[in-house]
Amino acid sequence: MIGWLQDSWDGANGWIFETLVQPALYALGLMAWAEDAFEWIDFVLFGLVQVLVVYAICRPLEAWKPVEPRSDQRSIRTDILYTCLSRLGLLPLLAFVAFAALGSRLSGWVAGSGWVPPTLETLFPLLREWPILALAVYVAVLDLGEYWRHRFQHRFSWWWSLHAIHHAQRQMTFWTDDRNHILDDLIGAAWFGAIALLIGVPPGQFPVVVVILRVAEAMSHANVRLSFGHVGERLLVSPRFHRLHHGPLGSGRDGKNYGVLLPVWDWVFGTADFRHDVFTETGDARLPEAMATGSWGQQQAEGFRRMGRALAKGFRKRAARRRRTA
Amino acid sequence: MRLRSTLHLRLIAGAMALLLPWAGSAAADGLVYVLNSGDATIQVLDASTRQERSRIPVLREVHHLALTPDGSTLLVGDSGANEMLFINPATGELLKREALSNPYHLGFSPDGGTLTITSLRRGQVDVYRWDGSKLRLAKRLDLPGMPSHLAYGPDNKVVYVTLQGSGTVVAISLDTLEPLWTTEVGPEPAGIIWHKGRLLVAIMGSDHVAVLDPATHTVERRISVGRGAHAVFPAPDGKLLYVTSRVDSRITLLDPETLTITRSLSVPGGPDCVTFDAQGRLWVTLRWKGRIGIIDPATGAMETQRVGRSPHGILFATTPPAASAATN
Repeated sequence: MIGWLQDSWDGANGWIFETLVQPALYALGLMAWAEDAFEWIDFVLFGLVQVLVVYAICRPLEAWKPVEPRSDQRSIRTDILYTCLSRLGLLPLLAFVAFAALGSRLSGWVAGSGWVPPTLETLFPLLREWPILALAVYVAVLDLGEYWRHRFQHRFSWWWSLHAIHHAQRQMTFWTDDRNHILDDLIGAAWFGAIALLIGVPPGQFPVVVVILRVAEAMSHANVRLSFGHVGERLLVSPRFHRLHHGPLGSGRDGKNYGVLLPVWDWVFGTADFRHDVFTETGDARLPEAMATGSWGQQQAEGFRRMGRALAKGFRKRAARRRRTA
Repeated sequence: MRLRSTLHLRLIAGAMALLLPWAGSAAADGLVYVLNSGDATIQVLDASTRQERSRIPVLREVHHLALTPDGSTLLVGDSGANEMLFINPATGELLKREALSNPYHLGFSPDGGTLTITSLRRGQVDVYRWDGSKLRLAKRLDLPGMPSHLAYGPDNKVVYVTLQGSGTVVAISLDTLEPLWTTEVGPEPAGIIWHKGRLLVAIMGSDHVAVLDPATHTVERRISVGRGAHAVFPAPDGKLLYVTSRVDSRITLLDPETLTITRSLSVPGGPDCVTFDAQGRLWVTLRWKGRIGIIDPATGAMETQRVGRSPHGILFATTPPAASAATN
């Protein structure tokens, strides 16, 4: 069965690459990127599978026990567009183009320094013998990184200006997971790349685990009255746990429940709220309407505008402080 | 928010394979090593039965390999993990791992004293000295332009490296460890071998093999073989040259004396690296299909079998080092 699945997957992937992509790369003089493009198709196909699996699981849950009615179809459609751009490879492609050259230069510089970047397995040899454990450790470390990135998204006003798009959604569904500003996504890619340089990148031969993680992340945004109970709420971010972050307790600097996958970080750093019977409304009334219900383009433009204003305000404040101390 | 992960789809079989027993003894007809770059494993096949004997898990991404000059050790570069794996080629036993920066393509010099390693990603070429047991980095050259494959001159004085990004070949002195010259050969050159006083360079961004005269640094001839010409492999008996073309998915047979085409074989799936068994059959990695092909060059008949994802380097372990060097 597994062999058949593998063969079918590789057959589809290979057919798309050989028939459509490779000839185009050849015609464009981009054959040096053939291997990356092959991986890219893999990424897109896998993204498609993820979207389908997430839909198959989350949509029935939302229909079964919704927190609120699905009244704003337009906003949901915008979130679906975000998911398509993110999961089907377009935004990651932009990030790749932006960072590929930089990454090569950086790794060349690192190699030139004589330092060979470690992986977690070289630091902790036991992990070599336990690949599933290694994956779990990678996921935990990366999740910790994401927790702090999320904290910073709320801490710095210019960053919050971008991240506010994610919080402006009043009709939160499992599609909202990917609702992010494009610049925010690029910063996230750089953040992840920096961590990857420090600990290596995780082994990738566990697609089932990856799909489970993806479902968990999407489900945390789902419009479903679902709590994982006293113990479960402390093990995995639930729809209730994350919904609270998208409610009145979430926006701005003093939010709660920043965890992406594991609530343990909120527990450790004192930002957890484990009230398992609270299902708040989502959205932030202080944010402009364009961020909540505007089109993808309007939301992106508003994010840039607000970030510009936040940066300018920061510069003015610093200048005033300098004048006072001079 | 979501966990921003670059975890890509790999084969679940990669994980399943971790449960398989290790190979502990030599196979009667030798072992075949397949580097599955897409699912982070080295697959060890019994050459006679073609059955899998073991899979060696690696951390990230294996692409190319080389036998030590005495044939006692197989070196496999795990580029993403910055590791070199040392394997007993007769048994498939993993002997050791060594931290080493981003090894992509690699090959020993004919005298066995030098190992050159290219790093496609970071734009560098490393020259190591090999004393039979240890590697010592002698020089790291910054060569932006995606250093790809390499070949040595028979006098051990020069190593030639294709630079995919700049469409050139660079010659590096193994005495001074400095570049001697660089010349344009065609878009996105990949495989390169030394052949009868010339360098044969597969031009992946085009459809031909460039015949480069290293004395004059000029391309004196272009042999059209098929779009996406990728690498050139001499038959162990020296009677043929095989050129893989990844876009047109074919292997072209060249007469080694005249460099004329004697035959063209259709090999669907993106043929990449080639090794040879004792019967002269070609074992080819089919990069885009997750398979290898076993081809009878006399009839052109090909059988395929499933391996791991994106198989790249391949080696029949009884292949003499000289025949396998630098191109797998």
